[in-house]
Amino acid sequence: MVNDMTKEELKMLANKLMFEMDDKEYETLLSEFDITLKQMELIGKIKDIDKVSPMTYPFDLELSDSCLREDISNNEISFDDMKINVKDYEDNKVKLPKVVE
Amino acid sequence: MTDKLIDEIRDKMAKNEVTSDMLFDEAVSLGNKYQSDYNSFVTILEKKEEEEGNSKLSGIPYVLKDNISTKGILTTASSNILKDYIPLYDATVYEKLKKAGAVLVGKTVLDELAMGGTGTTGHTGIVRNPWDKNRMAGGSSSGSVSSVALGIVPFAIGSDTGDSIRKPASYCGVVGYKPTYGRVSRYGLFAFTSSLDHVGVIARSVRDVSYVMDVIKGHDEKDMTSLPDEDIKYEDYLENSVKGKKLFYINEALNIKTDNDNLKEIIKNFENTIDKCRELGMEVEKVDFGMDLLEAIYPVYNVISCAEATSNNSNLTGIPFGSRVEGKNVNDIMMKTRTEGFSELIKRRFVIGSYVLQKENQEKLFLNASRARRLIVDRMNELFKKYDGLIMPATEDIAPLFDKASDKLSDEYLILGNHLVLANFGGFPSITIPSGFVKDMPVGVNITGRAKEDYLVLNIANKLEGTLGYKGQVKNNE
Amino acid sequence: MSKYIPVIGLEVHCELKSNSKNFSSASNGEGEVNTNLSVVDIGYPGILPVVNKEAVRKSLMVALALNCEIPEKLSFDRKNYYYPDLPKGYQITQFGNPIGINGYVMIDVDGVEKKISIHDTHLEEDTANMEHLSNYSLIDYNRAGRPLLETVTEPCINSSKEAILYLEALRNIFLYLDVSDARADMGQIRVDVNVSLKRPEDKELGTRVEMKNINSFTTVKEAIEAEIKRQTEILESDGVIEQETRRYDEVNKCTKFLRGKVDAIDYKYYREPNLPEIKLTDNFVDSIKKNMPILEYERKKRYINEYGISNIDAGTLTKDKKLSDYFEDIIINDVNPKETANVIVGFLLGYLNKNNMHIENVEILPKDFGEIIKMMTDGKISNKQVKDIFTKSLNEKKNPLVIAKEMGSQISDKEEIRKIVIEVFKDNPKVVEDYKNGKNVTGFIMGLLMKKTSGKINPGVTNMVLREELEKL
Repeated sequence: MVNDMTKEELKMLANKLMFEMDDKEYETLLSEFDITLKQMELIGKIKDIDKVSPMTYPFDLELSDSCLREDISNNEISFDDMKINVKDYEDNKVKLPKVVE
Repeated sequence: MTDKLIDEIRDKMAKNEVTSDMLFDEAVSLGNKYQSDYNSFVTILEKKEEEEGNSKLSGIPYVLKDNISTKGILTTASSNILKDYIPLYDATVYEKLKKAGAVLVGKTVLDELAMGGTGTTGHTGIVRNPWDKNRMAGGSSSGSVSSVALGIVPFAIGSDTGDSIRKPASYCGVVGYKPTYGRVSRYGLFAFTSSLDHVGVIARSVRDVSYVMDVIKGHDEKDMTSLPDEDIKYEDYLENSVKGKKLFYINEALNIKTDNDNLKEIIKNFENTIDKCRELGMEVEKVDFGMDLLEAIYPVYNVISCAEATSNNSNLTGIPFGSRVEGKNVNDIMMKTRTEGFSELIKRRFVIGSYVLQKENQEKLFLNASRARRLIVDRMNELFKKYDGLIMPATEDIAPLFDKASDKLSDEYLILGNHLVLANFGGFPSITIPSGFVKDMPVGVNITGRAKEDYLVLNIANKLEGTLGYKGQVKNNE
Repeated sequence: MSKYIPVIGLEVHCELKSNSKNFSSASNGEGEVNTNLSVVDIGYPGILPVVNKEAVRKSLMVALALNCEIPEKLSFDRKNYYYPDLPKGYQITQFGNPIGINGYVMIDVDGVEKKISIHDTHLEEDTANMEHLSNYSLIDYNRAGRPLLETVTEPCINSSKEAILYLEALRNIFLYLDVSDARADMGQIRVDVNVSLKRPEDKELGTRVEMKNINSFTTVKEAIEAEIKRQTEILESDGVIEQETRRYDEVNKCTKFLRGKVDAIDYKYYREPNLPEIKLTDNFVDSIKKNMPILEYERKKRYINEYGISNIDAGTLTKDKKLSDYFEDIIINDVNPKETANVIVGFLLGYLNKNNMHIENVEILPKDFGEIIKMMTDGKISNKQVKDIFTKSLNEKKNPLVIAKEMGSQISDKEEIRKIVIEVFKDNPKVVEDYKNGKNVTGFIMGLLMKKTSGKINPGVTNMVLREELEKL
């Protein structure tokens, strides 16, 4: 993989993650991508890496269906509890401006 | 009193020479006293919580890293985006400690969202090393480690995703323990990299770590990745003989040419530590791990942790909670909230994480990193067939000066700076204990064992601690 | 006949019934706004999901009913996107390893069986409910985290008619398995439709257009037809179909552009690390198989083969699960199934239809319904009387057995009444004389008849017979 990324692409990536970055940060980020992609290129060259199954869990917990949660309901919080962190609400609902303009 | 070991404190309590109220007051006053110089805390409690249970930890004061959910107590993850967040529920580790009668003193500073290793990125300022104010405490469990090292509390709870307990513990001369993955419930630990995150303990002796572990370990029905209960207490295993136990160290990491005097000293310290192991009857051998795998450690960690972190922190939008910044529409709110709420370092991590997960990149980046992770863990497990543990210097240097280190990704590669994450990849129990000093700064040794064999790692560490002579070490700056 | 063949794929989201949500213990029931809440579904920092056994059980039932292959291990993935109805910023779903794959459903298209191939069915969580007002929006988190089963067909449906038949068959699977109330009007079933066109000679499928979140079958039908029309017109005029997402405008009966391919979201699916792989043991799967309720087609087959009910009547009965349940509840008490089916299809459905009612509105207990049928099969009452009894019972919301008893003690038989009338004529020659002299004696004779029979005589029939007999005089 060649790093031919541009600042504009990175900006788009950032915006898809719902934030803006300082302009100068993109330079740092470009160099970080450069490093990461180079390092990953080496990893891609490890023999037979494509035959390895990707690891998600540190080890197999060997769980079976008996560990599934029994279907018992319990409402542990109320909207009154939530209000402490909610900035704006109306009729017990979280209030927001329009979703789109 | 709070700078003593748990047994000593319990002894005094038994003799009614000290009460839990006195201990709490002492911890609070020390916390306040050191705050301006060392900045260990986001929150110091004003009032002692009601004591609940009865255990070895009854009445013992402690602190929690500020990424552990505490109902009704501000929990910020040291990020502006959560600077006013009041959780509605208790983390399992906090609940267990409460039930055991341990007394919470405060919530400690971390690197923002636990994503960093310097202790300099929290929203309330930098954490300083108790041994030298011009040096870092390390991170991300910076305040938890420094408050134990300063003698404010006998133990602290931290979290460890790459080395976030064990590295700062080494920099600050205390014991840092990351148990087997799933040994301690993660319920209530703010997720950074779910598949690498661990809740762990910082204390001033292996015994004290074991006491805490015996309280906080166990299956939790709220955490599907938590392990089944064991029917044992780790403290019962501490004094077992370690004769005949076999340890290995990674040859490639130590067989290096360096101009760094500190590193030379650290290697010398390590050789001394190995001698002590042998005196205890253990065998220590060097092993060639495989350079391609060793060089993969850092990028694998980088790719996986950034990817998971991006997803794990997508809940921070300012809508049902978090520091919402108003805007003209919902997108605008999310955009402004996140732009102002995260530091630039965090954003860079998120962008990398998002990139490696994208459909067109996932195979070569995220999945290849996950494949390399398996190869590395397989190699560890292969070695663990022959050896009971891996022993290594905890770090490649003493705690850095503030102007030296940076959280920028780097291509400079030092295995000794990154090997601690091996334990996170495979969920292996891993402990750092103080092993001496270099330039008047503490250094540590790390022991990592087989998954689920926490008792053995603590056993070996305890025996080694006994011969190294730094048990109960505090940097008392009064 | 158009020269294009429509190729349609459907994705059906169905809310599963359970006590608690999919990954938290918050209630999965009706409730006041923002009352069914847990910290897990609000996505507070540090929460972890725990999989609901009941949701898995019900999903497996559906997967089995859809003839799917079941995975050895259960696993979940994250679908990442930002929208205020998704508090965690990701939805837990099954992307790589769904709970059922490669299944099928048979549908009957004008008497011809067609196999609808199921790509997969997968378990996921619902989003919060958003209310969009003129200049702000409100969020209710009651729905967030409810278990949702998404069933995806292969693109193998070729008309709106087939689409609806499939949707009805699928809904019946949910209803017969009792995994959901499956009410589209309550948002319990939501459908995503994708449509493309191809010429018969084309090997490749055409460019597909997607329409999301349609919540009535009628709208699905209209949307498909509108989209076929739109695409046909484009192709006819040598245009190119763009890959895009559109929405159906119910007022103007056409589909409208929502977003194009470039704006497609990359959901960055990856394995949910907080949910380990969970082995589905043979024990667990077998116990589900053993306790599977009987499905529509199985009931239909039984009605035909065991009860001798006609194919059409059996189809009518089983198409509506509630109706079929009512039928089953009647015949359980040793009531003749075929006669019962005849009464239900031949009379009851017509009545319900005429009165704009549904089987749920029928207050006659199945047991009482059966008693009446038994009276008929025992020859105690006629087929006509059965209908009269039920009509009266339904009209007056009166117990049919009471009505039958009243009718039974009444003299309604025409010939019997005729005999009584003739007797009364004999006993009262003066009245007959009066009638012959042009006097109106009907009321008087009715009185005599009532008196003679102590009021048990059926007035309607008597009136008729009396008129006949008077004319004969």
